Amino acid sequence: MKIIVAIKQVPVRDSNLRIDASGHWIDEDDLSYEINEPDAYALEEALQLKEKHGGEVVALLAGPERGSQTIREALAKGADRAIHIECDDLASLDTLGIANRLAAAIKDEKADLILTGLQSDDLGLGQTGVVLAELLGIPHATIIMQVEAASGSIKVKRELEDGWFQHVEMPLPALLTIQSGISKLRYATLMGIKKAKTKEVRRVSAGDLPQAAAATVTIERVYLPEKKKETQLIDGSPKEAAAKLVEKLKFEVRVI
Amino acid sequence: MSGILVVLEHRGGAYNRMSWEALAAGQQIASASGQPLSAAIVGNDLEALSGELASKKLDKGYRVEHALLKDYTADGYVLALEQLVKKLEPEFVVLPHTYQVRDFAPRLAARFGQVLLADLIGLRKDGDNFVFVRQLFQGKLNADYRHPGSRPCFLSVQAGAFRAESLEAGSASVESFAPQLDASSIRSKPDAPFREAAQTVDLGSAPIIVSVGRGIKEQDNLPMVEELAQALGGEIAASRPICDNGWLPMERQVGSSGQTVSPKLYLAIGISGAIQHLVGMKGSKTVVAINKDENAPIFEVADYGIVGDLFDIVPALTEAVKKAKGA
Amino acid sequence: MNTATPAHALAVTLHYAEPPSFSIWEMVLLALLIVLSLVGFFARFDRVLRNIFTARKDPDFHIAPVGRRIWDFFWEVLCQAKVIKERPLPGLAHAFVFWGFLAFALVSLNHFASGFGLGFLDSDGPIGSLIDGFYFWFAAVFALLVAVSIAGLFVRRFFVRPIWLGKKVSYESGVIAFLIFALMVTYLAAFTIPSTSPMARGLWWAHALCILIFLPLIPHTKHLHLVLSPITIFLSRGEFSHIPPLEGDEDFGLVTGKDVTQLVALQAYSCVECGRCSEHCPATNTGKVLNPKEIILGVRGYLNDLGPRSEEPLLGKYNSQEAAFQCTTCGSCEYQCPVGIEHLPIIIGLRRGAVNTGAWEDDHGTKLFLALERNGNALGMSATERDKFIKKQELPIFDGSQEYCLWLGCMGAYDPQGREIIASFAKVMNYLGTSFGVLKKEKCTGDPVRRLGNDLVFQQLAEQNLEIMKQQKVTKIVTICPHCVRTIAKDWKDYGASPEVEHHSEFMARYQDKLPKTNGPEIVYHDPCYLGRYRGSYDQPREVLARSGKVIDPPRARERSFCCGAGGGLAFLGEESGERISHVRAKELAATGASIVGAACPFCNTMFRDALAATSDAPPQLLDIAQITAQSIANATTTPSNGAQNA
Repeated sequence: MKIIVAIKQVPVRDSNLRIDASGHWIDEDDLSYEINEPDAYALEEALQLKEKHGGEVVALLAGPERGSQTIREALAKGADRAIHIECDDLASLDTLGIANRLAAAIKDEKADLILTGLQSDDLGLGQTGVVLAELLGIPHATIIMQVEAASGSIKVKRELEDGWFQHVEMPLPALLTIQSGISKLRYATLMGIKKAKTKEVRRVSAGDLPQAAAATVTIERVYLPEKKKETQLIDGSPKEAAAKLVEKLKFEVRVI
Repeated sequence: MSGILVVLEHRGGAYNRMSWEALAAGQQIASASGQPLSAAIVGNDLEALSGELASKKLDKGYRVEHALLKDYTADGYVLALEQLVKKLEPEFVVLPHTYQVRDFAPRLAARFGQVLLADLIGLRKDGDNFVFVRQLFQGKLNADYRHPGSRPCFLSVQAGAFRAESLEAGSASVESFAPQLDASSIRSKPDAPFREAAQTVDLGSAPIIVSVGRGIKEQDNLPMVEELAQALGGEIAASRPICDNGWLPMERQVGSSGQTVSPKLYLAIGISGAIQHLVGMKGSKTVVAINKDENAPIFEVADYGIVGDLFDIVPALTEAVKKAKGA
Repeated sequence: MNTATPAHALAVTLHYAEPPSFSIWEMVLLALLIVLSLVGFFARFDRVLRNIFTARKDPDFHIAPVGRRIWDFFWEVLCQAKVIKERPLPGLAHAFVFWGFLAFALVSLNHFASGFGLGFLDSDGPIGSLIDGFYFWFAAVFALLVAVSIAGLFVRRFFVRPIWLGKKVSYESGVIAFLIFALMVTYLAAFTIPSTSPMARGLWWAHALCILIFLPLIPHTKHLHLVLSPITIFLSRGEFSHIPPLEGDEDFGLVTGKDVTQLVALQAYSCVECGRCSEHCPATNTGKVLNPKEIILGVRGYLNDLGPRSEEPLLGKYNSQEAAFQCTTCGSCEYQCPVGIEHLPIIIGLRRGAVNTGAWEDDHGTKLFLALERNGNALGMSATERDKFIKKQELPIFDGSQEYCLWLGCMGAYDPQGREIIASFAKVMNYLGTSFGVLKKEKCTGDPVRRLGNDLVFQQLAEQNLEIMKQQKVTKIVTICPHCVRTIAKDWKDYGASPEVEHHSEFMARYQDKLPKTNGPEIVYHDPCYLGRYRGSYDQPREVLARSGKVIDPPRARERSFCCGAGGGLAFLGEESGERISHVRAKELAATGASIVGAACPFCNTMFRDALAATSDAPPQLLDIAQITAQSIANATTTPSNGAQNA
């Protein structure tokens, strides 16, 4: 089974984010980057499928030069080779533009399965995978908890809301977006890093890919939400405090 | 091209509550832009759901019905709604940001050369156009988006971002729309949805956790906290000393030597907040702490705190939660 | 036939009796037996030597500094200082046997020489004539001491039976003890008879046979240490818990026999199975699988069965992975070992082999590694939490103008208790008028991953930190965490020159005269492993505490301090099996009756916090030495006339 895992490089989870001078995006200087967490689970799932059924795992990443660090880690964890679409203009593209590039870069790969995380930690749109399936004309399923591969088809477990699940069967090739936290991630090892040095990374220049249409949506401004970060201490008698807290749980936290 | 189309979601013969929130968003756009509002439900045999839809303030309701739409499939929904959108040519398509919508809506939008503006927390009219607000970096930042180009514009709204209570009532006609569907174009075969059989505690995926610490003093006081957990629909958990004492099983221990959790709500009761505990729950979206020591480190990480005697506050809170849920 | 009177016998036999001559047949027989004995010895010893010599060379071994090696040899081998110091009575008995053996080397040589008529120690011999048999008397004194000592050790081993010698009775030890005893008795008995007596011939042969039987037994038993341990001690790496660098692209630590180095092999064969390591091991003492002695014997067993070229994994049949990852790296084993075995490089080497190849699968471990990779701290906290703390405490930011860089460490930056220690120490530094600043950015020093054997993450952290050091022009670091101290001072060196670093106890001790002196309560001081055994700082923290109260020691203190259970990355590996190490130690500290437990390591502090509360109804107060000092300063400055204030 040939599996392509589309991974994204995002600022590390707990980065101290600052808005850039234009106000359109964050200041990227001084940030460290890591693999998007749901994509790490997609990679893990791909590696486990390969361990079970054999085949090849190809990591696919679009992004600037710094992305090669994330690619190297994917190779160190066990991906067999990688495709790096080199581009500095990710922020100016929308999902369609990015999915177009990904589709163009892998159309000759003839993969059986394409995996990616259910959404990215930065933009959180959660649609690159689904749109990529549309562009490739293959079926997809999202928020996948489990994958069972048979010959020519797969059976997956989808997460629905409120503790419901569903099994779905579909023919290959197919695209799945993987839920975060469904398995235990492996850690990168020294041995893996040393082996990764010898693995193939195919570099594709964005300029060599068909030009995508202009973005249909644009970010006009990014800003800090007006949420108070400090602890809100609730006072009053036990009864009053309880009532105030429930109010917050209902309308601010939205869990009641 | 004009109008707003809201796609509602239902399961087991009832509307998803988020559907009404999406409709509320639709009403807001409709009134701001002065455009007609329509709403659609997708499935098979939807007669029973018509009545409730007809009682809302909208211009038209559609029942998108086909035998092949009985069970949800992305292929079926995309094909059916593609036909409806082509027919209605709306300027906006509004959906609730549910798991199901996340599954098909991006694909539907792509058919029109569009991307879905997903998970909106707000929108406002600005000049001739709309500004859409969504969160970036897991809520650390907000972003204002614009959709300046071609139409339709696909939007999905976050749970709770619009109030279903603000929905305006009215009366509308609901008509059936029969899409052209072919069994061969639906590639995936879904089984019936199921719930997992009650299994061992999985704190890791629990959305609400009520956690108790040394402040509870005695095992006999635990039922009080259990009752609160039950009222909230959450799992009960504990810091290490409680599990060490055997008051709760080890699998309910949160912390560096126990479970790592990331619920939407973590309610820490009588927990002072030693580092071993903090590392296990720091991923929680919202932390509420109840502790009598105002200097307890747990307040450093809490979003909401009540300084006081947990033996007074917990019962009052249980009462208040029950009241809120009953209402 | 000889019925000499006692007086007569005494007169004749105040001389070491050897048969005056040997027949040719006796000489042939003796030669044959010697050859047989030597063959028996070398048949086995050759195998041992080959296993040692064909093992991989140690990548960073240097014979220099020879002075240190000579001193170690003199002190630990010739003076038997460590053997005596750590177990005085059996140690002294052992020392006498050892010194006796040295004294007997000449006697034994002479013994066999005389069998061929070439004796040189009797009064007719070339040396003996000069000193008139003096040497026999000299040796006789030792013979007496050896005989008494070996009898004592025999009684200890077979009747007292301390558990550290192993549950199984070692019959070979009994045989050896008997041989040594017989050797001495046959020697001493020869003083009681005339040379002409047939008894003299009998004793001579009995003595010779004892030696000839003893010799081949040496390489087959733990008595191999007789031959190897002096070499092991001389060649030891010398630095405590020295972790050798990895060499080339194929070195991942101790994975298979091919990774076993000559020093490791030599040490494995030197083990005398005395059990000192087990006796002091916190894991062994609390019912874990790990027993450091078994780790060493496991490596020896592997080498015996498979040799140093084998590609079988070292962890598996011969050593368990579970055991290797139960080590707190407290270093008691390495400190105690009388034959120069360095346990930590071996245990950490096994961990490196497992982690660097991905063979170790552990949820907590994986979480720790990912937390360090992503967040740069072992607790997986967001760096913004650290920023908030610095802001809240109004700690000055290091800008190169201050004398000291105050290193917070993970505990100091994120742990509520650790933060209190930092806040207190900052007050002490301010009081002393020392300028300092904290770094804007700081990553974990890498201590937990260094000890757990994750070289990839450790290298990343060390390099990132060294880069920060260079950028910020840090030259002197002071920190509250002994783990940070050790890692900065020693382990970072593999990746570049690291700044000078000292522990806050050492810093405060230098200024102790400026600290207020009060007659405070009794404080029981717990020596952190990484400050004590790793760094030898035993007195400084005590001197600092003595300014604020009366320092008392728990039963196990200083070099023998018992671990808190947090080291070696174990603080992050989840629940331990068996009894909690921290509980054992907490009980011991509380039992001293002191009202304050003085800690000097934030990890010990965090372990004891829970343990003291869990094991005692009215636990003593747990404070870091910086907190105690800061309190004294506060008391002294608010009530200048009455500094002495009891808590």
